[in-house]
Amino acid sequence: MRVVVTGMGIVCSIASTVPSFTRALRAGRCGIGPVPDPGDGGPRLAALVKGFRFKDAVAARHRLPEETRRGALRAASRSPEPLQMDLVAAMQAFEQAGLHEAKADPERMGLVVAGHNLSSGYAHDLHPKYEDNPAHLPARFALHFMDTDRVGTLSQVFGIRGEGYTVGGASASGNVGIINAGRLVESGAVDVCLVVGAMTDLSPMEKRGLATLGAVAGVEEPNKARCRPFDEDHEGFVPGQGAGCVVLESARSAAARGATALAELCGYDLKLDANSLPDPREEGEAKVMVNAMANAGVGARDIDYVNAHATATPSGDLAELAALRRALGDSFGRPWVNSTKGLVGHCMCAAGVVEAIATVVQMRHGFVHPNLNLRHPINDDCRLAPGRLRDADIRYALSNSFGFGGFNTCIVLGRER
Amino acid sequence: MTNTQIFETVKENVLKVLPDLRPGDVTAEGTLTDLGANSVDRADVVTMSMEDLGLTVPVSEFQEVHDIRSLVDLLARHS
Repeated sequence: MRVVVTGMGIVCSIASTVPSFTRALRAGRCGIGPVPDPGDGGPRLAALVKGFRFKDAVAARHRLPEETRRGALRAASRSPEPLQMDLVAAMQAFEQAGLHEAKADPERMGLVVAGHNLSSGYAHDLHPKYEDNPAHLPARFALHFMDTDRVGTLSQVFGIRGEGYTVGGASASGNVGIINAGRLVESGAVDVCLVVGAMTDLSPMEKRGLATLGAVAGVEEPNKARCRPFDEDHEGFVPGQGAGCVVLESARSAAARGATALAELCGYDLKLDANSLPDPREEGEAKVMVNAMANAGVGARDIDYVNAHATATPSGDLAELAALRRALGDSFGRPWVNSTKGLVGHCMCAAGVVEAIATVVQMRHGFVHPNLNLRHPINDDCRLAPGRLRDADIRYALSNSFGFGGFNTCIVLGRER
Repeated sequence: MTNTQIFETVKENVLKVLPDLRPGDVTAEGTLTDLGANSVDRADVVTMSMEDLGLTVPVSEFQEVHDIRSLVDLLARHS
């Protein structure tokens, strides 16, 4: 059964909608900037969402029925902002998929929220109140601290009554979500499935922990640091705020509803690496790329573009390019390769969904976005996108996501004819 | 603290939790449920009011609350 993408939505540091994301990718806009020194040795750079106002973002979805907008405000006005961003991204995707007009059977609609440990920053912020008097914790805390609050709230707003849950795979969570949703559709469990790459609200303690592992850029000298995927001077990732949503749907359901297929989820693979560490490994990464292409029924020479995981950690970038060479063989230098993280930072659990959206956007609009801050490439054989916009005819693309603890994932997206 | 002051605090929080209401909708004789509050909304009004008033009331005591007046009375007993 063919699975297609019929809707997309995004809120991130460089865009508040998919059309503005498209313009930002074209322009190579960077959402990364300095943040106040937390004073604990944690990250001093971040790609933050600026100027988000939930009420306005809901009002902007004026094509959705007033009942849906009112339901969103009622359900989430006092929710933590990260959930509100997830909801707004999902409202955009729901609208683009036309699910408010040509409706799907509520029991045939699913919801997969990709991510875990999503609300640590929220819990951190409430801790002083708890210390002061535990009885004054907001009653909603018991709901809001759970990752599954995102599932519950979004399902209420959209009236989703089919299968739903959260899935986790560290930084690969977004792709884990897309793969799970793809399987729900393929298996016939649902006709339509929303996949939400959930905004990950890290606490200062968690950010400091990541810095301890040496994975974060700009801890020492934020003014000189950049996010530099594939550059010899890469020094780590920059945390990014982002929420994304894609609607996956069986081609039959899309046709029956008259929804436009934006792209096809042609294949995928997800494999553990039997490895609890943050260490990326070439062999396991290559394996999922090879298996995903086989699952899609395409060969290495069919791949025109690779949206790399490429967080800009030295070991990660090197392992991924070595894996790509192994997976593509003689075609290694053929597809364009770029890293969206250079623009939006590392959106953590949402990254896979944000990057799947970036892939579909580039595919549909015929370009590859620049690789930012790439002065001295770590590999001369790979066709790394330059620092400026390039036109590109993309029929098939890979989008990689890898996570601490050996989560290796690759999805194959294809352009709809 | 007078019952009137406590009522005003509760009312303020009801309007925060249920922003669609008009101030005149919230009366001592009314119930939170009739105003459209769900179970968590009601608990939120309680915790927010306790915080604003600087009170701590054991959770079990709220079982006796059946309308806004009895909520105000309970909070007043602990003030």
